[in-house]
Amino acid sequence: MSDRMNRRQWMQMLGLSGLTASVGALGTRATRAQGVGESSGFQSSVITTHKVQTERANARLVDGKVIQPQRELPILDTTDVLVVGGGPAGVVAALAARRAGARVTLVERYGHFGGLWTGGLVLLVIGHIVKGGKQVCQGIGEEIMRRLDKLDGAIMDRRPGVNPTVDAEAVKYVMVEMIEEAGVRVFLHSWGVDAIVEGNAVQGAVFESKSGRRAILAKVTVDATGDGDIFAAAGAEFEHRSHNVGLVSRIGNLDRVDASKTGGAPKPKHLGSRTPVPGVNWVNLHGPEVDGLDVATLTRLEMSHRKFIWQNIQKMRQTPGYEKVYLMETAPQLGVRITRVLHGLHRIALADLKAGTKFPDVVGVGGSENGGHGEWPIPYGSLVPVRAENVLAAGRCIDVEIRMADLVRLIPNCFVTGHAAGVAAAVAAQDGCRPRDVEVAKVQRILRQQEAYLG
Amino acid sequence: MSRAPRPEAALGKQTQGTPGRWRRLVRVACLMAAGIALWPALPAWDTALYVTALSPFVAAFSLLAARAWPATAGLGLAIGLATLVRHRLFCRWLCPLGVCLEAAGGVGRRLGRPPWHGLRVGPWIVLLTAGGALLGYPFLLWLDPLAIFAGLFDALARAREPLAWFGALGFAGTMVLSLLWPGLWCVRLCPLGALQDLLMQARRFLRSRAVWKTSGAAPRDGVPQPVRRALLGVAAGTILAETTRAIPRPAHPLRPPGARAEPQFTGLCTRCGNCLRACPSRIIRLDLGSSGLAGLLTPTLSFERDYCREDCVRCTHVCPSRALAPMPPEGKPQARIGRPQVDMSLCLLGNDRDCAACARWCPYGAIRYVFSEQEYTLRPQIDPDCCNGCGACQVACPTRPRKAIVIRAADHG
Repeated sequence: MSDRMNRRQWMQMLGLSGLTASVGALGTRATRAQGVGESSGFQSSVITTHKVQTERANARLVDGKVIQPQRELPILDTTDVLVVGGGPAGVVAALAARRAGARVTLVERYGHFGGLWTGGLVLLVIGHIVKGGKQVCQGIGEEIMRRLDKLDGAIMDRRPGVNPTVDAEAVKYVMVEMIEEAGVRVFLHSWGVDAIVEGNAVQGAVFESKSGRRAILAKVTVDATGDGDIFAAAGAEFEHRSHNVGLVSRIGNLDRVDASKTGGAPKPKHLGSRTPVPGVNWVNLHGPEVDGLDVATLTRLEMSHRKFIWQNIQKMRQTPGYEKVYLMETAPQLGVRITRVLHGLHRIALADLKAGTKFPDVVGVGGSENGGHGEWPIPYGSLVPVRAENVLAAGRCIDVEIRMADLVRLIPNCFVTGHAAGVAAAVAAQDGCRPRDVEVAKVQRILRQQEAYLG
Repeated sequence: MSRAPRPEAALGKQTQGTPGRWRRLVRVACLMAAGIALWPALPAWDTALYVTALSPFVAAFSLLAARAWPATAGLGLAIGLATLVRHRLFCRWLCPLGVCLEAAGGVGRRLGRPPWHGLRVGPWIVLLTAGGALLGYPFLLWLDPLAIFAGLFDALARAREPLAWFGALGFAGTMVLSLLWPGLWCVRLCPLGALQDLLMQARRFLRSRAVWKTSGAAPRDGVPQPVRRALLGVAAGTILAETTRAIPRPAHPLRPPGARAEPQFTGLCTRCGNCLRACPSRIIRLDLGSSGLAGLLTPTLSFERDYCREDCVRCTHVCPSRALAPMPPEGKPQARIGRPQVDMSLCLLGNDRDCAACARWCPYGAIRYVFSEQEYTLRPQIDPDCCNGCGACQVACPTRPRKAIVIRAADHG
C-alpha cells in the first residue's frame, strides 16, 4: 500500500508519465524486505509481488528501430566528488578527495576494489621506481603498500629498487578497510554508463545496476574508468587506441613440481611468476592488439584466451615433473591495456622525459616499468579535458602519447594520477571553481601534506 | 745520394742552434692552439679536424686510398706544397708533437743519452703507405705525428675511461723514444718528416733532370737510385698491405656511422681519436684486439650506457682520413651501424612479462610488438628499413646482465 502511494506521489510531484514501475520504490522495498525476512524465519521471503504494469519506459521497437524513451532517473546521491571506477586510480582518488575534506562517492562496476590489479590479477607492481632504485610513487599508493606489508602473505619482494608482487585478496581487503575508514560512500556493482551534463559541464554520472539506472549528482566527477567512459560520454575529445588485450590466470601446485623427473629439460612455457601464495604463480598473457571497446572482440578474446589457458595447462601437465600443476583461476576481468585516451590540456610525451622537462603544474611523478630511466613529472593539464568541464581523468586514460602510455597505465602511476585528480577535485568542489581554474599551488600543497612526491 | 736533403741539417737549426725567439713563440702558440682545438669541451666540436687535417701525409694518402676529396684535404696538401719551398717547414714551425719531443730530447741529452745514428725508417714508412694507399689500404697512416698528438687528448679528455688511455700510447711511445735517443723520432722515424724529405728530394731530382736536359748531358746510369728506392718501397707496400688486409679477424666490431667497409676502415683510420672525443654520448671505445691486430686502437661502438643519437653526425665530420664518410644529419637514419638481434629466451615478452622498453626508446619507430597465435605471446618485430642499429633498444632493454636485444655488425655472418 505504501508502495503504491509512494509511486503516485512521485508521479504527481514530477508530473511525468512513463516512469518505470521499479523507480522510486527502492527505499521502502528495502525496509520491507528486511522486516519480512526477519519475521518469516525462512532463508528467503517475498519482497514485492509484481503484476503487469502499464506505465513503462522500456526500449521500444518503432519501425524496425529500437527507441529508448525519455525518462527520469532517480537521484541516488548528491555529493562533492564522484569517482567512477574503483581501480588503483579511483580508490586513491576517492581517498585523497575525502581526506582533503570533500564528500566523496565511489562507483565501481565489479563487486570489489582494485580493478585490473585485483580483478585482472595483474599482481606485479611495476612502475614505482626509477633509475638507481629511487621510489617515486609515494602518498596514498605507498600507504596501501605499507598496509599490505603488515598483513601476512599479502606482498612479497618489498625491497628498495625491486618490483613487489601482491596477493589480490589482500589488496581487496586493504582497500575496503581504507575506504571504510575514510568514510567514502560506495556503490559496487554499479557500472558508470553516462555523464550528466549541463551545457558542457559534467554534473555527475549515471550508472546501471541491478537496482536499475540511477544518477549521482556531483560538483566534480573523476573519470577513473580506465576507458574514459565518462569524459567520452560528456563530449570531451579523446583518442581511441588499440592495444593488446589478454587474460591473466593463476596456476597452483608449483611447489609440487618433481625436479627429479624433469631431467634437465627446459621449463615449460607460460609458467608465470611467483606470488605471495606458496606454490601459486600468476601467468600474464599479452593477447593480440585489438579495439578494447568492441564487445564482439572482447567476447571472442574471453573465449579464445580461456581455451588457450586450459589447453596450455593440459600440455604442461604432460611434461614430466609437472603432472600436479593445475589451473586455479582465470582473472574475472579481461586485461584491457589502453582504449580511450583523453585530449587534455597537456600531453605527456617521451621527448619531455628525455629532456627532463619540468612543469610548474606538476601534481605527481611517474616511474618506469623496470627502473631503467629517470622520473617524469605528470602535469595537472594531462588530467583536464580540453572541452568538458567539471570532470578530471585519472589512471590510464589521461592525456598521454602512445609511446608513454605503457608507463602511464602501470599501477603505481595510476595511484599517482588518481591521487592528483582526487585532491584537485576536492579543491575545485570546495572552492566552487572549475577544475581547470583550480589553484594548482593549493593542490600541490595538499598533495605534499598527503605525502605525495612531486619531484 | 749526395743530393738527398739531410733532415738533421734542417732540424739542426732547431735542435742544436738557438732557435729564433720568434719561431719558438710560433711553435708554442701552435702547440697551445692545437691543444685547445683538440680539447672536446669547446662549443665548436669540429675544431679537432683542422689540427689533424693539417698533415700532408694523411691528406695525400687518404685521398689516394679513399678516392674521395674531403673538404679539408686542401689544408694538408697546401702545407705539403709549402714544404717544397722551405724544407721541413712543418717540423720547424708547426708540429705540436715536435715541441713535446724536443723537450723530451732535451732532457735525454742532459742525461747524456746519445743521438741515434741507425737506419732512417721514415721514408720507407711513407713509401710502404703509398703502396698500401694505391690499394685503398694505407696501413701505416696511424704513424702520422698529428694523429699521435691528437691521441693524447683521448686520455686527457676521457680520463675516467681507462680504455681511452690507450689512445695516448703513441704519444707516450714517441716521448720515451725521444728521451732515450734524442731526435730519433723526428729525424729517422716520423713519416710526415720523411715525406717532406722525399718531396724535397723529388724536387731536386726533377731540377737536376731539367739541368741535364738543357745541358744535353745524359744520365749516368739507367734508373736513378731514389726512383728505384721509391718503386721498391711502393711495391713492398702493396704486398704488405695485401697481407695485413688478409689477416683473419676474430670478430666483426661495430663501427661508428658512415664507416667504410671493414678491411678498408682499419687501413684508413689514423687512430687520432677525433671521433671518440667528438661523441656526445661517449659510446666510442678504442678496440684492443677484438678486430685483430690490424684493427688495434680503431674506434668501435659500445651500447652499454648510451646509443648513437639520431640527431648526431659529429664523428663523421671530424675524421681526417675519411675512414668515416661525412654525412648530413638527415642522412643518419640511413647510416647503418648494425642490426638488432633478439634473444627470446631473455626477452621479457618471451617470458609473458609486459615490457615496451625497446619500442619506446627506438628513435626511428622501427620496433613493433606482434602477437604470435602460435606461441600465444608477443615478440618484438624490427623493421629493417627503419632500423639503422643505433643501439637505443639495447640500452633500454631491462634484462640483466645480458641484454635480450643486442646490435650486431650488419655484415656479420
